[in-house]
Amino acid sequence: MTAALHRPRDLGAVLDLLAGTDDPMVFGGGTAVQILLKQGVLAATDLVDIAAVPGLADLVATPGGLRAGTMVTLRRMETDPLVHDRAPLLAQVYGRVANPRVRNTASVGGNIAHGDYRLDPPTALLVLDARVELSSAAGVRHVPIREFFTGFQETAVGRGELVTALDVPTQPRGGAAFSKLSSLAANDWPVASAAVLVTAADDVTREIRIGLGALAPTPVYVAVTVAATGSDDDAVDAALAAVEPLIDPLPDVRGGVGHKRRLGRVAVADAVRAAWTDTPRDIPREPREEASDDHRLPFRRLRRRR
Amino acid sequence: MTIDSRSAVSAGVADRGSAAFEGRAVGESWGRVAARSKVRGELQHAADEALRPCLDVVVTRSTRPHAEILGVDAARAKAVDGVVDVVTGADLHALLGDAIFTGPAFADQPCLAVGKVRYVGEPVAAVIARGRAAARAGAEEVAVDYRELDPVHDVDAAVRGAPFVHDELRPSVVFGDLAHLRGIRDTNVNYEYVLRHGDPVEPPPGSVTVSDEFWCPPTHHVPIELPFTAAWRDGDRLEILSTTQTPSYVRQSVADLLGLPLASVRVRTAPLGGSFGAKMYDRLEPLAAALAWTRRTAVRIAVSREEAFLLTTRHGAAVTGSMTADADGNIVAADADVRYDTGAYADVGPRITAKSGMVASGPYRIAQAHVRSRCVYTNKPSAGPFRGFGVPQVTWSHESLVDELARARGEDPAAFRRRNLLREGDVSVVGTPMHSADFVGCLDAVTAALDWESPLERPTGRYRRGRGVAVGIKAVLTPTISNAVLQLNQDGSATLLISTVDMGQGSDTIMAQIAAEPLCLPEGAVRVVAADTDVTPYDTITAGSRSTYHSGNAVRRAAEAMRDKLIEIAAARFGVAATDVKITGDGLVSTQTQQKASIPELLHAHFGARGTTLTTEADFRTTWQPYDKRTGRSPQVTEHWFAGAAAAQLTVDTATGRVHVEHLAIAGDVGRAINPALVEQQLTGAAIMGVGHALFDQLVFDEGQIVNGTLLDYQLPSIHDVPDRITPIVVENPHRTGPYGAKGVGETTIIPLAPAIANAVRDAIGIRFTRLPLTSERILDALAAQEEPS
Ligand SMILES: Cc1cc2nc3c(=O)[nH]c(=O)nc-3n(C[C@H](O)[C@H](O)[C@H](O)COP(=O)(O)OP(=O)(O)OC[C@H]3O[C@@H](n4cnc5c(N)ncnc54)[C@H](O)[C@@H]3O)c2cc1C
Repeated sequence: MTAALHRPRDLGAVLDLLAGTDDPMVFGGGTAVQILLKQGVLAATDLVDIAAVPGLADLVATPGGLRAGTMVTLRRMETDPLVHDRAPLLAQVYGRVANPRVRNTASVGGNIAHGDYRLDPPTALLVLDARVELSSAAGVRHVPIREFFTGFQETAVGRGELVTALDVPTQPRGGAAFSKLSSLAANDWPVASAAVLVTAADDVTREIRIGLGALAPTPVYVAVTVAATGSDDDAVDAALAAVEPLIDPLPDVRGGVGHKRRLGRVAVADAVRAAWTDTPRDIPREPREEASDDHRLPFRRLRRRR
Repeated sequence: MTIDSRSAVSAGVADRGSAAFEGRAVGESWGRVAARSKVRGELQHAADEALRPCLDVVVTRSTRPHAEILGVDAARAKAVDGVVDVVTGADLHALLGDAIFTGPAFADQPCLAVGKVRYVGEPVAAVIARGRAAARAGAEEVAVDYRELDPVHDVDAAVRGAPFVHDELRPSVVFGDLAHLRGIRDTNVNYEYVLRHGDPVEPPPGSVTVSDEFWCPPTHHVPIELPFTAAWRDGDRLEILSTTQTPSYVRQSVADLLGLPLASVRVRTAPLGGSFGAKMYDRLEPLAAALAWTRRTAVRIAVSREEAFLLTTRHGAAVTGSMTADADGNIVAADADVRYDTGAYADVGPRITAKSGMVASGPYRIAQAHVRSRCVYTNKPSAGPFRGFGVPQVTWSHESLVDELARARGEDPAAFRRRNLLREGDVSVVGTPMHSADFVGCLDAVTAALDWESPLERPTGRYRRGRGVAVGIKAVLTPTISNAVLQLNQDGSATLLISTVDMGQGSDTIMAQIAAEPLCLPEGAVRVVAADTDVTPYDTITAGSRSTYHSGNAVRRAAEAMRDKLIEIAAARFGVAATDVKITGDGLVSTQTQQKASIPELLHAHFGARGTTLTTEADFRTTWQPYDKRTGRSPQVTEHWFAGAAAAQLTVDTATGRVHVEHLAIAGDVGRAINPALVEQQLTGAAIMGVGHALFDQLVFDEGQIVNGTLLDYQLPSIHDVPDRITPIVVENPHRTGPYGAKGVGETTIIPLAPAIANAVRDAIGIRFTRLPLTSERILDALAAQEEPS
């Protein structure tokens, strides 16, 4: 039951370990792995701690958005001006994960690789159409986040593969909102969450993109179009109709299927209404120009709204 | 969150330098002892102590709720690297006989199952190994062969009859009042308390009766510090270091188990990191003691968080209750049938059944009351003491009923309570008079804090607002015994030896204040020694809010005896009569000759040496009159009463079912606040714990198995669940025999908390909830049912 701990110092060594050991497991921030260790249910033979590998914690602007190395912490995603600028919805959602202690330790790659259906960040990554970079001894491949969550606690990460980065396109103009509902203590895992982005589909239509968390065995993505002239009620109705067949909750101590379904509808309705209301009448359709550093707001002013 | 504290928290000794010390200790908010080291993580808890090398013990736990043990195969476990030995209940039974069945009321619980398991998680075999990992690996390899028996999970099914959790009842030999239960077979009811006050009559014309079925689920204490016990043999003595609130009890229990004189058993504690009743009576100690003694080795048992959930719980309780008010709005009758689910072992359940049964109709003047309170075995982990000692469960019933009764009469729930509450000198339904229990003062204080008389803004949309109130009554554990030994050191500092355990409630701080008061010693001068049965004298238990009054009285007496000794010494030195000598912050003074001597001068001269000590000791005992077996009544059933009230203003989100508490006001009559800041913290802490019990805190079972017994799933109030505003109010009606008038406060506000919240929810959405907790699912289900056309 004890696993060997490796602390490789370069990516090549990591990939060799992932390819060459019996049953390896990546140790990212360790917030999930530590729980398995403590409960004595860790099956792996080898733990590969990737904290010492250079470059994996880089967060940089890219021509179309931003790129976060796997070891960038959730807290940095929540607070970094670059994320606030390019993908404010993403910053907001990272800021709602767990508590500051977890966010200061957990990594963006570990978060998605964890594969839990209740995770918050995937909801935003889904609506933003992020891309996951996977590396292995065989090379690098990219998987759209919308194809990443393959089943209950299953992801597209294959044997010998490491999540090395997330590429997130700049958030399109429009309204955005995140709603997270827990049914018991306020800081508990959610029983329903929804990230919503309203953007221009064409001159007369808007696209409502919805990422759902905790409402099915995997995070779920769906989009629906609504006439730009529609009311917020129209938007909510369309969104609810779209999510209805996708909501497939797992009953547990936090509530039965019916309850979670009910809260799922509230989370979607709240987020869609807020995002729709937040959407300007005329959404400029051209992509935003890259913000230069002096346009960025100083860090302190970027505290998430409560 | 805001806390409307009326007492500023003391800045500590440093800030006192400037102002002249007046010699006052009681009533001051002295800084909490060890607060700094707690915040910095420097305080040494039991498991942090450097001990002699110990073998680790991990137990193999039952996977069946009810089964015969056909065999235990330890061969594979013994083959695990590092495993030294595997011990079963049968092994210990062969060595120690029936002494391995222990418990505070019934001797029914073995430290390792003998012949039969009675709950999922019961220890079946102990694996002793070098290191915890090896012990854990070994414990997984122990194979147990079971023959399953029918289990009983539901408390009412258990009352009705078979299957029976125990073949026969085994009351502890210590208690005469339980002797009649010995050997009784074919029942799961191990104790029954009945209260009969007044004769049942037909309700007078114009009266209103309300009745309902109530349920409080089992909950867990979740102290931050996990339970820990180490034990080793030192020649023919046994030493134990344990996380316990009851070191004196543990010494007796272990001495009985091993047949040792009390002097051969030493039980030591370290500061506890919270407990709330979780670390009392027989927890890990009997097993550690039995293994260390019989294997002649040193062992330690450090349980995991998940195991801690299995060690003890709060009793789930069902109450069938009713209340009647006459046409004038006086409560004329109350009825309660209470069933406490004590799980597989009685623990202190029978005591809880009686103590809580006697207050099941609430703190009201009632002409006729009938209570039947039963303690019932089921195949679940054993339930034991929990902050409130069973009283919150019956308060849930009577405070919901009183509220409905007021509403049925179209009356304000606060005004209705005010008319019916017991006053000073009133005799309660149990036959004992009220003193220093100002229910009306507490009710008035919390309602005033909420501005109860002014109209409430009631939005009609998604969010609904409501206000609710509740009061609570509890009797202090009686009879009990406390002792104190005080050593005044030559330099004017003092060392206080008591077996009261500081677990966060602040006893080390307030006992120092009580000792300092008669001697005019300054903050920081009195050190309280951690309980150590080789050193500190007997104390019944640190629980049930009894320490301030009982240990406090012993400490006060010891300190007053010390003052008298000093005065005698000073009188001889000054050549004046003792009546002429006063003690002040500066030392001893003759009012006649103005001669002065500081304590250091006086003791130095008296003994002719530095570093000497002057010792006094005192005890304090309370007595009761056992209740009448037929009526359950007694003119002195308790030494004193606790009185408290809570009022809540909250909103209900009718879309999500979430309750948001905007303002919570809580009050307790503490007699006299020894340390107002610590009293407010106790009032507040108990209230926040109560918010959890009201809204989501519960142990969930499936076929006898706990399904949420990890902190990933078990729900506790987080900082975001704390009310926006909390107003703790200290009500002071000095108790005639309390130390400086003081009584305890640790449980007072948890008692009325859940009904105060539920009554506010009732006010907000018009729905009465009878089952705790009020989860968002229950609230939405009820709202949906309300909307259905009937
Ligand atoms: C108390 C608590 C509350 C929480 N509440 C929330 C919440 O409200 N919302 C929410 O979204 N999440 C919540 N979480 C989950 C948290 O977000 C995850 O634990 C965290 O994001 C995992 O990241 P990590 O870097 O610590 O992963 P690790 O623990 O290091 O790893 C998690 C898994 O991913 C694998 N892994 C790690 N890095 C890689 C990589 N680069 N490539 C491939 N596989 C990898 C590991 O092998 C492991 O299987 C909570 C966690 C805790 C402990």
